[in-house]
Amino acid sequence: MTDGVSPQATPSPLPQETRTHWALRKVFAWSIWSRVVYGAAGVVFGVLFVLELGYLGVYRLTYALSVLNPLYQAFWVSLEVVAVILPVGFCLGFVIGWARTTRFVALRGLASAYVDFFRSMPPLALIFFFSLIAGLELRGSGVNPYDIRNLSLWMGVVALALHTAAYQAEIMRAGILSVPAGQTEAADAVGISRIRTMFVVVLPQAFRLSLPALGNEFSSSIKDTSLLNAIGWMELSGMALNLTSTSYTSHYVYASLVIWFEAAILYFVLTYVVTRAVRGIEDLYKVPGLEVAR
Amino acid sequence: MTSAIRVRGIRKAFGDLEVLRGVDLDVNSGDVVCIVGPSGSGKSTLLRCINLLVTPDEGEIYLGDVALTNPHIRPEWVRQQIGMVFQQFNLFTHLTVKKNVTLALRHVKHYKRKEAEKIAISQLTRVGLADKLNSYPAQLSGGQQQRVAIARALAMGPKAILFDEPTSALDPESIQDVLTVMRRLGEEGMTMVVVTHEMGFAKEVADRVVFFDAGRILEEGTPDEIFDRAGHERTQSFMKKILR
Repeated sequence: MTDGVSPQATPSPLPQETRTHWALRKVFAWSIWSRVVYGAAGVVFGVLFVLELGYLGVYRLTYALSVLNPLYQAFWVSLEVVAVILPVGFCLGFVIGWARTTRFVALRGLASAYVDFFRSMPPLALIFFFSLIAGLELRGSGVNPYDIRNLSLWMGVVALALHTAAYQAEIMRAGILSVPAGQTEAADAVGISRIRTMFVVVLPQAFRLSLPALGNEFSSSIKDTSLLNAIGWMELSGMALNLTSTSYTSHYVYASLVIWFEAAILYFVLTYVVTRAVRGIEDLYKVPGLEVAR
Repeated sequence: MTSAIRVRGIRKAFGDLEVLRGVDLDVNSGDVVCIVGPSGSGKSTLLRCINLLVTPDEGEIYLGDVALTNPHIRPEWVRQQIGMVFQQFNLFTHLTVKKNVTLALRHVKHYKRKEAEKIAISQLTRVGLADKLNSYPAQLSGGQQQRVAIARALAMGPKAILFDEPTSALDPESIQDVLTVMRRLGEEGMTMVVVTHEMGFAKEVADRVVFFDAGRILEEGTPDEIFDRAGHERTQSFMKKILR
């Protein structure tokens, strides 16, 4: 250095990474654990903030807490319904979407008719049709009225599952069609039969391609369950409506705001869990080198 | 020399477009036959007809003594006998290199996983990619992908391999890697039909060169005959442009 050597010739070495450096980098790295920790911290702060507002008198805390419990009970009803609609809708949508791409004209026609019908019906109308028809058919048949009531309630859930299946069928079809023809051609060229090609080459790729759109449809159909209160389901929306109508008239607007705010949070939780799960599956199916951005 | 593949009077039309207009071709076993000619002349369609990816409208194709155009022949069986390598590689993007090679062994020949993997490793070693077993196709260069595709075709133990412009989508360096592998295959006595624009390769490796134009074979012969002493005016003008 003293003999005037230019700094470019002998670049000063990068500072050695210290243990603290390393530890800090680990802590702030966007790992799964830091996500959990940040998420939990965010929730705790949010809850504390909302409670604080209540203590400060922005809203009446005791009332807000008193409606939370029934809403929480109704949340589990919503979850129960979603747990039926999503798997049934997915399986049916998967099969129908596949049927729409087969060479068998009859099967394709049937699947197309299904999609055309269920996509063009408003979900509310479907719910009414299914539950009312079930009720009418069984009236006077000697079946326990309680069972008839139960069945017509669940027919409404079936209606929603069939509705989302139509949308998922179209998503699946788009996925299957977007697998390049070269893939099936290559499978043909090594002698793999058509049906096996479908299972080992086309469907795995189609599934990966349609996951983002499926997550979208899942979150949409979760919110469609709010229509079920029209036939008497006491799920999240049904309970929220019920609570608003039983609140004191002088507090109606205020009470509605608090109740629907809480219901909205619970819907958010439900949707967030499902869409995160879909994201997790997306990561599972990610092909190294194929997707640059995510 | 027995003929491995015999093509007799193949015709194929897509709608009004006549792509193949009566093609006769003999490929002796162990021979490398290069098909050259302008784009859109039906070279690829001919290859696809040979392993029944495209069904010809008329004519017969024989593999040894078996008429492949016989409707009782299962196309799946034909494709086990005749491998194919595509211009765009067409590797299964969602599977590792190893699985790309073993897929057909597992699902067509019903080999055990261990056996299939042993074959995959030996074939991948043959194309110089034994170290890429667990990579995905998207992580490989074009030339490497094409060599995996060749290994995939070889793994089925085919009697012949068809190459459909195997180097047209590659950079000059990768082209040489792929051609080296193909050259070695030819020397080892694999029957190969190669559609190519690589005239150097055709000159050096081919036993016979076929000049294809407008859906029929215009001329065929040894590389010298076709490249230097072409009889047909169309062939001469094509060669003049290609060879500068």
